[in-house]
Amino acid sequence: MAHDLAQNTVDGLMTGSAYAMLALGFTLIFGVMRRLNLSYGPSIMIGAYLGTLVHLQFGMGAAVVALVTVLGAVAAGFYVERLCFAPMRGQAATASMVASFAIWMQLEELATLLLPRHSYPFPALIARPPFEIAGILIRADRLLTLGAAIAAMLALWLLVHRSRFGLALRATARDRATARHLGIDVDRIGLIAFLGASALGGLAGMLVIAADQQITPMFGMWATFKGLVAMMLGGLGSIPGAVIGGLLLGVVEAHGQWFFGPQLRDLLVYALLFLCLVLRAGIGAGVPSAERRI
Amino acid sequence: MLDVRDVVTAYGKIEALKGVTLSVAEGRITCLLGPNGAGKTTLMYSIAGILKPRRGRIALKDREITGRAPDQVVQAGVALVPENRLVFPQMSVRENLTAGAYLRRDRAGIAADMERMFQRFPRLKEREGQLAGTLSGGEQQMLSVARALMSRPRLLLMDEPSLGLAPLVVEEIFRIVTELNRDGTTIFLVEQNAHMALKVAHHFYLMEQGRVSFSGTPGEVEEAEVIQRAYLGSRRAD
Ligand SMILES: Nc1ncnc2c1ncn2[C@@H]1O[C@H](COP(=O)(O)OP(=O)(O)OP(=O)(O)O)[C@@H](O)[C@H]1O
Ligand SMILES: [Mg+2]
Repeated sequence: MAHDLAQNTVDGLMTGSAYAMLALGFTLIFGVMRRLNLSYGPSIMIGAYLGTLVHLQFGMGAAVVALVTVLGAVAAGFYVERLCFAPMRGQAATASMVASFAIWMQLEELATLLLPRHSYPFPALIARPPFEIAGILIRADRLLTLGAAIAAMLALWLLVHRSRFGLALRATARDRATARHLGIDVDRIGLIAFLGASALGGLAGMLVIAADQQITPMFGMWATFKGLVAMMLGGLGSIPGAVIGGLLLGVVEAHGQWFFGPQLRDLLVYALLFLCLVLRAGIGAGVPSAERRI
Repeated sequence: MLDVRDVVTAYGKIEALKGVTLSVAEGRITCLLGPNGAGKTTLMYSIAGILKPRRGRIALKDREITGRAPDQVVQAGVALVPENRLVFPQMSVRENLTAGAYLRRDRAGIAADMERMFQRFPRLKEREGQLAGTLSGGEQQMLSVARALMSRPRLLLMDEPSLGLAPLVVEEIFRIVTELNRDGTTIFLVEQNAHMALKVAHHFYLMEQGRVSFSGTPGEVEEAEVIQRAYLGSRRAD
């Protein structure tokens, strides 16, 4: 029993670190632009299919595939930004969200209709059998995901809080108009944040897909969903919050799956999310925690 | 230094500036008076590139800046101390100043200017690491001025810097305005406190309903009946 708990917790942290990275990407867009990009996951999916393409067609190895996946996600993110976000900057947040939902459907249909098969293989990054530490089984590629998530979080935090670009990003997030007074090109900052988020999402998605060794059109929805739930659990829009939310989601899912099975697992997650939102509404009355940006 | 010619700026269908013409002399303090809603802030925003004029031209030292983006205007040497100060409340004093130097790349120069600001505004030095939102109104105004100066402007636009501040703090702000001007910065000041402005400014404009209705020296201001009635006869209750 204790062993199960420990194993579940470790598994949950590993999966949760991928959620955390997905949530970081969401947070970057939400924190800076107060925009929800529902096409976030589907953009990652497009990148992953491009990765698979160079793998199957040109026999490229894992490193090239990983790079193509991330760049593909950035390119798809650029497409979404130009179409849904650039034309309505600084206003109509809902319109951007709805537009990004439409693009989600477009990208998903594109993958479903154009591709002859539903699922495609994706090369593993590390093809080694799991190893054991103190009776706990650990997969090397999952460990890599955890390491990447920690590195991404630290890098993002440093970028946001210790660099010139980060200062401009926070200024833009806090007060667009005043940032403009100081000569900060807020539209450019927004675009860069968006592309950075897509790259982060692409990296997270690539690590997950490489661990699963397959990609399906459903991945887009999965990634948007997990990233969104993790961000909400973490309190919307803060970097540490996104990481905690992601890890929490992973651990709760792992235990839920083990003790109650897959259906109740998801129910448990919804219950937790509900609890978080209600608690925040209660505790946070007057304290604008949802207003906290990055 | 600054030439504004026939500028029309509108919010949708409503023209807030209906053909404004005025000029700001280099090395001087020019003051813009006017009642609430006259269009003073709209003019500041039009010069700073925040709002795009529908017609007319704005030139800085014979270089046209009409309709340029704010970053280009800042680069051309214009900085704005906005109405209501608008410091970033969740950032430290130091970060606010750094944000003011955003377009500059000379790290050493920025560090030196930061020290200069701390000398000029010792109270900011004491609160260097404190969040700007915790400063008093007067200190926030100092910060807003210092932040604008961090871009090394040749022309400083100040939109009602004394608004809502205690008389002693207002005096201090005006002392700083004079000092800055003596050190070579041209200043274009929006002010409703005509009594204070008369002590420092070299030239005055009065704006009413989107038009300049008076232009003159301090002496002429004291003579002019319109201004007497509105600004000097009875102090504005604020
Ligand atoms: N964002 C806006 N949208 C629509 N109308 C506006 C907007 N901002 C200002 N106005 C209108 O433009 C006119 C000029 O406003 P402006 O803020 O420039 O006046 P002001 O002289 O700065 O006044 P105050 O002394 O109150 O600061 C006013 O009639 C105002 O109602
Ligand atoms: Mg005003």
